Amino acid sequence: MIPLVAIFVLMLLLKTSILFPFADPEKGTSIALGFILIFAFLFGKQINRLKLPQITGFILAGILCGPYILKFLNATQVKDLQLLDGLALSLIALTAGGEMQIGRLKGQIKSITSLVIFQTVTIISGFLLFGLLGRQFFPFFANLTVLQAAAAALLMGTLATATSPSSTIAIITETKSKGKFTDLVLSVAVVKDFVVILLFALFLSLSKPVFFTEQGFDIGLLTQILREVGGSVVLGLIVGGGIILYLKYINREMTIFVLSVAFFTYQISHNYGYHPLLICLVAGFIVENFSPHGDRFIQAIEKTSLPVYVVFFAISGASLNFDALQSSWLLALICVFWRGLLKFIGTFAGASAVKEERTVRTLSWAGFISQAGVALGLAIMVEETFPHWRGVFLSLVLAIIAINQIIGPVLLQKLLLKVREVGRKDLGSY
Amino acid sequence: MKAIYAFGLLILLAFLGSRFIVRHKSLSPLRYIFLSGLVYIFLGMYLGKMSLNILSTQVLDDLTPLLSLGLGWIGFLFGFQFERKYLRRFSKKYIGLSFLNFSLVFVLVSVAIFFLVRELYIEQPPYFLYGMVLAFGLLATVNSPTLLNAASFALPRKGDYCYLARFLASISGFWAILGLALLFSYWHFPFFDSRIILKGSVTLASSTLVPILLGYLFHLLTKKRAQEQDIRVYLLGFVFFISGAAFYFNMPPLYVAMVMGITYSNLTKIQERLYPLLLSLEKPLYIVFLILIGAIWEFKFDTRIALLILVFLSSRILGYVLPMKSFRFLLRFPFPLPHLFGFTLLSFGGVGIAFAVSLKLAYAVELTDVFLSVSLISIIVSDFISPWLLRISLLRLDCKESL
Repeated sequence: MIPLVAIFVLMLLLKTSILFPFADPEKGTSIALGFILIFAFLFGKQINRLKLPQITGFILAGILCGPYILKFLNATQVKDLQLLDGLALSLIALTAGGEMQIGRLKGQIKSITSLVIFQTVTIISGFLLFGLLGRQFFPFFANLTVLQAAAAALLMGTLATATSPSSTIAIITETKSKGKFTDLVLSVAVVKDFVVILLFALFLSLSKPVFFTEQGFDIGLLTQILREVGGSVVLGLIVGGGIILYLKYINREMTIFVLSVAFFTYQISHNYGYHPLLICLVAGFIVENFSPHGDRFIQAIEKTSLPVYVVFFAISGASLNFDALQSSWLLALICVFWRGLLKFIGTFAGASAVKEERTVRTLSWAGFISQAGVALGLAIMVEETFPHWRGVFLSLVLAIIAINQIIGPVLLQKLLLKVREVGRKDLGSY
Repeated sequence: MKAIYAFGLLILLAFLGSRFIVRHKSLSPLRYIFLSGLVYIFLGMYLGKMSLNILSTQVLDDLTPLLSLGLGWIGFLFGFQFERKYLRRFSKKYIGLSFLNFSLVFVLVSVAIFFLVRELYIEQPPYFLYGMVLAFGLLATVNSPTLLNAASFALPRKGDYCYLARFLASISGFWAILGLALLFSYWHFPFFDSRIILKGSVTLASSTLVPILLGYLFHLLTKKRAQEQDIRVYLLGFVFFISGAAFYFNMPPLYVAMVMGITYSNLTKIQERLYPLLLSLEKPLYIVFLILIGAIWEFKFDTRIALLILVFLSSRILGYVLPMKSFRFLLRFPFPLPHLFGFTLLSFGGVGIAFAVSLKLAYAVELTDVFLSVSLISIIVSDFISPWLLRISLLRLDCKESL
């Protein structure tokens, strides 16, 4: 606790107006990065003592030090540090792919498919209903026609279906969880992301003619999405093959190798319109399942990734938009509650359909609450497509994501504790 | 797309080249260029705005934290070796020789450069010129033990000379970094309006106290049995923090990180656990650092720069070679110090590169660009010829058995 307070006080002193004449505000990114890395990590450790996940601590530390509360990090620095997002997401996806072992997943394919289908259908239908029945109570929906409200609700429902694989992976890694629940939650989160991206492309194309009468159904967007997904899978296979060859024939300087793979995969995919998450996921999956080097590769990532994760989650906390939360907190809270309920219904129905055991039916919904990157990225696309909504939709979605990202990791950690899969990674196979 | 293929090819070539050359059991200049990592500066130049522009100005701006981390890392590693236990093993005469060596090279190079820049850069304000002169003088005193370590298998005998050379090369940077701290504190561009002494003293005091405090905090966090992953986070966090603070407050980045390293190494009892961790992170960080330096380097070469390089290198060599015999007399050194011994101290290494770039990053004026070009070219030339000079010096010296 003393170092946490000391580093906080030191930063407070360094940021006071007495020292300001000595400072060059344009060169503040490195000190902000160093501070947030130490502070968030120590804060996460303190939060962990309260039996909450460390990443919740990282996120809360980010919120506390971010541009809305203590202002240790200003908006520009937060934006600068978001450069690390790509690196972190690639590392997370490589780990996720590496955790998906065919042998372990074989017995769960039916459950995964059923959970994905039931959750998706339930949540999208639920939000459609919400948009149509409750629209007179909320200013955003009230100004829309029935058809437009339905389109907006469909988009919101699609975003609500998404779960954050990054938070899921981070909690699994942090708690060293292993077992049936862990595999199920992770696999569903990952597969659902693909489904969400595809459905989103479809609904966005369908929504355009509803809002802009001069525009027709945009088939081009759909084919583009399919090309991106297909291309990403092929790139993932190539990257995975490359990693296997490296591990087989060179197998040294693993830290720089892992970081280079993550960085360049992200940069190249970003520049050429592919999905870095999908590429890394496929690459990790290939290394784990088609070579004997999977464990070594995952170990190398885990050795490298902790500092990147700390900064990634802290910055995601610092970048949460509190103005958005302030302006739409009531509707956001209702949406969060409604989404949670729909997650429970969808998961219960999906698990019941394949006759899963009682714990899966009643508890596993708690593993699907967290939301982050994908939902945020898609919400920004909606905003770019419908600029006349003047940020209202984006603010609402941002507020929902903010709340879900705080409560989601806590719920997942509690779930893994409840089903006794925490700490089992060190015990070998289950 | 071509650029990305080229980049992949360059990394592959650098990697294969270093493997091939490292395996070759001889100490050639080319091998040392790979071994010391200087080749990555060329890679950076090729990737930067001078050629492929993959590392464009915008990208480099975004990657500034990595550059500051690189500087902080080098400073921290350098300071970390100054453990009391380690220093006590050496005779005070060794430290005396190091200081004498530093003083003479510093004075000789500063004077030579002073007369030259006064003629060559007459249009520049005098305080810019004086600062640059002192910076050149300090840079000239930096040596690196990397070459001696790399050459250990190739040297026929390892006696007192090798031992002494390794010691001198390891600690010479201390005086230079200390000098740079004074230069940064009192040659502080924003302060040239008034009360330079007061403001400079405040900067110097902060540059010393803040890293001591951070080194102590780092020790507090790692003194109880911390996991390797935790130590890694603290290490990166504290180095980022201290080097970031240096940039934010215009403090000398190498100095503050060095002070933190000295503080930590003298408090902690987990050196054995920390060394492997430092080594595992060192290479990737250093390679990235050198690539970025290559990319930010606005290569300049004209008659004035050529003259500066010539005078800088020749006065430096003279400074290391000429006074050795008189130093023996002054210090009553236990064994002879022939002229040739100075040839073992000519390689600059990572500290020299970090020294050169820290000035450029702190002050973006025309003269710092000149300083960077002269420094980097001199470092490359010097490191290229130093394996050869080391060979002829140590081969011809009458080495005694190891102490």
